[in-house]
Amino acid sequence: MKKIITHNILLFLLLVTTQTFAQNEKVKGYRIEGDEIVFSFDKRDYTKVSKNNYWSKSDFEDIDIHNVVVSGEFNNWSLHKWKMIKINENIYELRKKINDFNDEFLWEFKFVINNSYWAEPSKEDFNTNEATKNGHQLDVYNLNFTTAYVDKNGNATFKIKGYKNAQKVIISGTFSRWNEDYFNMLKTEDGWELTLQLRPGEYEYKFIVDGEWIIDAENPLMNKNEFDGFNSVIRIGKLVTLKLNNNLNASKVILTGSFNNWNENNCKMIKTENGWEYTFKLSSGKHHYKFIVDDNWIVDPNNPIKEYDYEGNINSVYIVK
Amino acid sequence: MLKRKLTILLFFICFANNFANSTDNIVFIKAEFLNKNTVRIPFKLIDHLIIVEANVLNQIGNFIIDTGSETLILNKIHFPSKYNHNVKNNETTGILSYIDNPIEKRLKSFNLQHFILKNKNSDIIDLSHIEKSKKMKLLGIIGYSILKDYEIFIDLYLNQITLTKVDKYGNRLDPKVHVEKIVDSLNFKLKKHTIVINGTINNQKLKLGLDTAAEFNQINKSVNKKTLKHFVPKKRINLSGASDKRIEVIVGDLYRLKLSETIYLGPMKTMLTNLTRMYEVFGTQLDGVLGYEFFKYKRTIINYRKEKLYFINYPIIRK
Repeated sequence: MKKIITHNILLFLLLVTTQTFAQNEKVKGYRIEGDEIVFSFDKRDYTKVSKNNYWSKSDFEDIDIHNVVVSGEFNNWSLHKWKMIKINENIYELRKKINDFNDEFLWEFKFVINNSYWAEPSKEDFNTNEATKNGHQLDVYNLNFTTAYVDKNGNATFKIKGYKNAQKVIISGTFSRWNEDYFNMLKTEDGWELTLQLRPGEYEYKFIVDGEWIIDAENPLMNKNEFDGFNSVIRIGKLVTLKLNNNLNASKVILTGSFNNWNENNCKMIKTENGWEYTFKLSSGKHHYKFIVDDNWIVDPNNPIKEYDYEGNINSVYIVK
Repeated sequence: MLKRKLTILLFFICFANNFANSTDNIVFIKAEFLNKNTVRIPFKLIDHLIIVEANVLNQIGNFIIDTGSETLILNKIHFPSKYNHNVKNNETTGILSYIDNPIEKRLKSFNLQHFILKNKNSDIIDLSHIEKSKKMKLLGIIGYSILKDYEIFIDLYLNQITLTKVDKYGNRLDPKVHVEKIVDSLNFKLKKHTIVINGTINNQKLKLGLDTAAEFNQINKSVNKKTLKHFVPKKRINLSGASDKRIEVIVGDLYRLKLSETIYLGPMKTMLTNLTRMYEVFGTQLDGVLGYEFFKYKRTIINYRKEKLYFINYPIIRK
C-alpha cells in the first residue's frame, strides 16, 4: 500500500508541475485517442502538393479533392490502401489501432490526394523530417508520428534543474525506445522541461545533457539497467469510470478494491439515471475490485474478466495499460 | 492485507553446479502467490518479448519466457562461470538463439514453494546482444525444462502468466485457477521440447511451432506456393538473432490460417524466412512458427502433459 501511495504522490508531482513555459510544438496529421491513432488531414494545413514521381510542386488550391489516403512506412507507401473518411468539407480522418504500430518508435507518413498528389508538409512543422529514398535525400519532407508525443497538456512533465550552460538536453526512455535525438527539452528559468503525452504504463527514462546520461535526481523510483547503473522510473495511470447498471433501489453503493486496500467507505459511487458510477485515477497495472450494494458484495456483472483471490473468492479485474 | 500478500515473493530456483555448494534463488518480483499450486506473474512486453522481472543472486533483472528454448539459460555477462571445462558443445535451441558453446550448469532443484524438481539443466550463455538490441538488463531465458511441469496461461490481455501445478496426467491440482470460461481447445504434439500444431492455409497442411519468444510469426520460404498466396509482403527489415548475426527478412501479413473447424487466425504479421536450420533450432522439422501475434489473438493456456492448448476469450470492451 505504501508503495501505491508513493507512486500516486510521484504521479501527482509529475502532473501538477507548473507549465509556465508552454511549448509551441503541436504535432500535425494525427492525434491519439485511447487505443487508437487518428490520422487527420485538414486541407487548410497545406499549401503545396507534388505529383508522385515528379519533382515539381504545385499549389494546393488547384486541386479538387476526391479522396485522401494515408501513405507511409507502415503500408509500403501505398497510394491506395488506407483511404480516409471525409468528416467535413476540410477534414478527412482514419482510425487505426496503436498496437499495430508498436514495433517501431517512429513512423514516417504523408497524405495522398486523389491517389497521386502528395500533400507537402512544411519543414517548420514540428513532426517532420527530410524524406529519403534509397539513401538519397529528396527535396521534400515527411510527417512522422510516435505513440508518445509532446503535448503541453500531456500527462508526464519531465524536469531537470540546473545545467543552464548546456547546449542540448534530451529526454530519452522506453517510451521513445531510448531514442537519443527526438525529445528535445526546453529551457526554463531554473533548468529544462518537457511535457509528453504517454500511454498508461511503466516507463524507464534518463536525461541526456550534452551527451551525458543523467538519472532524475528528484525521482526516488529507479530500476537497475544493463550497464550496472540505474534508470529512473515513471508510472502513468489514467482516469477510469467504473459503472454498475440498475440497482437504483439501493441506498448506497461502494466501490472497493486492491487499489484502496479494500476500504469499505472511501469510494461512494454516485447515482445516475441508469445506475451508479465512480470516476477516479488508477495507476497502471492490474486491479481487483467489487461493488458493495447495501452491504452486499458483488462482482461487476458487466465485466467478464474475473479472478480468484487467495481464499477462493471471485473478484472483478480491471487492467490499466 | 491483500496488497501486502501481493508483494510476497514466490518462486525459488536453487541451483548449484557440480563444483559449487552454494544454493541460489530466483525470486519473481510482484508475483501473486495464490496457493501452493498456483502463481500469477505479471510481465511486461519489450517489443514483442514476454519479460518477467526476477531477483537472482542479488541481481534484479529480466527473464524472457520462451517455450522455444529447451532449458533455462543464464546470461554469462551477469553469471560468469568459473569453470571453462563446463563449456557445452551442442547448440542451444530456440528461435532466439543460434548460440555457440553454452556452459552447462546443473540445477540442483527448482523450487516453487512445495515442489522441488531435481536435476534441471541450465546453460550459461552470453546474451549481451539481446541486452543491447532490447536495451534491458537480461538475466536469462526461462524455457521448456522449467515450464513443462505446469499448466501455463499466457494472457496478453492482463499481461501476466499463470503457472499452475499439474499431476502426471496434466490435471490441475488447484481446482480454482481460472474463473473465466475456457471456450475452445486444440491438440498439439510435443516434439522434443517444441509444441507442434497442425494447421492449413489454402488447404495446404502446415506444421507450426508455438513459441512465446518469437517476436514475429515465421513461415518458411520453401512451403507450397498455394500457401504463400495468402502471404502479403509489406517490407524488408533487418533482424539480429541471439548470435548477433544480422539477416534481412521480408515481413508481411499471413491470412486465413486454419487450426481447427472453429479456430481461424489472420491477418498475422509474419516473416518470410529461410528456415533451413529449423530442425536444429526446434528439434523437429517445421513449416513455420507462431509467436507473439498468435498470443495477441488468443489468450492461451498450454498444457504440456495433455498436449493441449485451451483458449479464453478476450473481453469485448464496451465504450
